[in-house]
Amino acid sequence: MRMKSWRAGVIGAILMASCGGVAYAHHSFGAEFDSSKPVKLEGKVIKFEWVNPHSWIHIDVVGPDGKHVEWRVEGGAPSALLRRGWNRNSLPPGTQITVQAFRSRDGDTRASAAEISFPNGQQLSLGNPTTEAVIAAAKRAQGQ
Amino acid sequence: MKQYLKLAAAAAVIIAGAGIADAQAQKKPAAAKPAAAAPAAAAKPAAKPVMKSGGSMATLGGHPNLNGIWQAITEANYNLEPHDSGDSPSGSRQVGALGAIHGGLGVVEGGVIPYKPDALKQRDAYRATAPRYDPEAACYLPGIPRATYMSFPFQIIQGEKGDMLMVYEYANANRAIKMGPVGVPSIDTWMGTSYGSWKGNSLEVVTLSQSPGEYKAPAGEMMENKTWLDRSGNYLGSNSSVTEKFTLIDKDHIAYEATITDPDLYTKPWKIKLTLYRRLEPNAELMDFRCVPYSEEFLYGDLHETKGPSGVGGEANAPAKN
Repeated sequence: MRMKSWRAGVIGAILMASCGGVAYAHHSFGAEFDSSKPVKLEGKVIKFEWVNPHSWIHIDVVGPDGKHVEWRVEGGAPSALLRRGWNRNSLPPGTQITVQAFRSRDGDTRASAAEISFPNGQQLSLGNPTTEAVIAAAKRAQGQ
Repeated sequence: MKQYLKLAAAAAVIIAGAGIADAQAQKKPAAAKPAAAAPAAAAKPAAKPVMKSGGSMATLGGHPNLNGIWQAITEANYNLEPHDSGDSPSGSRQVGALGAIHGGLGVVEGGVIPYKPDALKQRDAYRATAPRYDPEAACYLPGIPRATYMSFPFQIIQGEKGDMLMVYEYANANRAIKMGPVGVPSIDTWMGTSYGSWKGNSLEVVTLSQSPGEYKAPAGEMMENKTWLDRSGNYLGSNSSVTEKFTLIDKDHIAYEATITDPDLYTKPWKIKLTLYRRLEPNAELMDFRCVPYSEEFLYGDLHETKGPSGVGGEANAPAKN
């Protein structure tokens, strides 16, 4: 039946629109983040924001001087995370994680990442396709 | 069939356009027939689109056919409980009687929402500052059941089998109703997650996990908000369950009821009842109500007052005060 052929597309479109309500435009990776400024962040999750166009992990990072700094790390959209099996219990506050991310251009404690890893070595994709592409391009360039 | 595809494509386009600021994606209203074709058209009546008017298909896949454009005629969105007409909650100096509240006999069975004492205090706090934290004022998504009885039409899209779709004119709000057993939603969302099933001739829909979460209110205030049920501060929570029933009374009327259960907020489950009326005009369709630009002054107007419309300095650029 024709119903089946359009249903998947419609429901896919709804998943994109269903978490809406955000008024600002979605900027490119390069406009906001610097692929030449990688940063490694380790710390405990403060909270996880399920918002569009990008989710945000708030991490409490303790510097060598002992000061606590809150970093915000950009992940994929909620629909991308749900497709990768994430749910509300995936990243509870207090979870220790490590993130390899690219720093924001404006110097804020903000970065974009493709995946996070846990102390036991497990890795979890953040469903952030543009950041994944930037990392893949950098790896290819190193390989050359 | 062709009309069905056109309608479905239109719905998909409307929904896809919600997250993308692309004017070309907007559906244009059907073009008028050219004059030359009029004599030929007069000889044969124009085919009625089956889905929009309901047409002759009383059942689909053995279930009542709910396809079409529907709208509630009710004052529920002002206040679910019985209430008098009244002054606008704000802005009557600017808009006078245009912003006033319409009186309503109420849609709550028993008349009063059975809040627990702390929940009632929260309702009254929302009411005292309305519409500051009202998601409708900010053009955020309205949640269920509010989307049903706002003063906008909505469209039900139903096939012979498979998930159902409801698209609301207000802010392009929409939901896919998963037909099957009630599950556990992965996350909280503005419109919640809906699970549907047929109970005899009624469509029963259970909606769970509705929450606006960390909410941006006017002047940059961030707060934890709840899903509002009307403009007067009635609300439900992220652990509430909403069970709706859609029953066709006749081909142009649906008896609609919604039962809301939440032991944290209410002393017992409570129910609203109202009627949905089919939009019968032959060219009935949802218009766009993309209200984000309309709520900009409400959410960000304070920035104009300090920075001016162009973002640059103070009093010289501030809008003239009356």
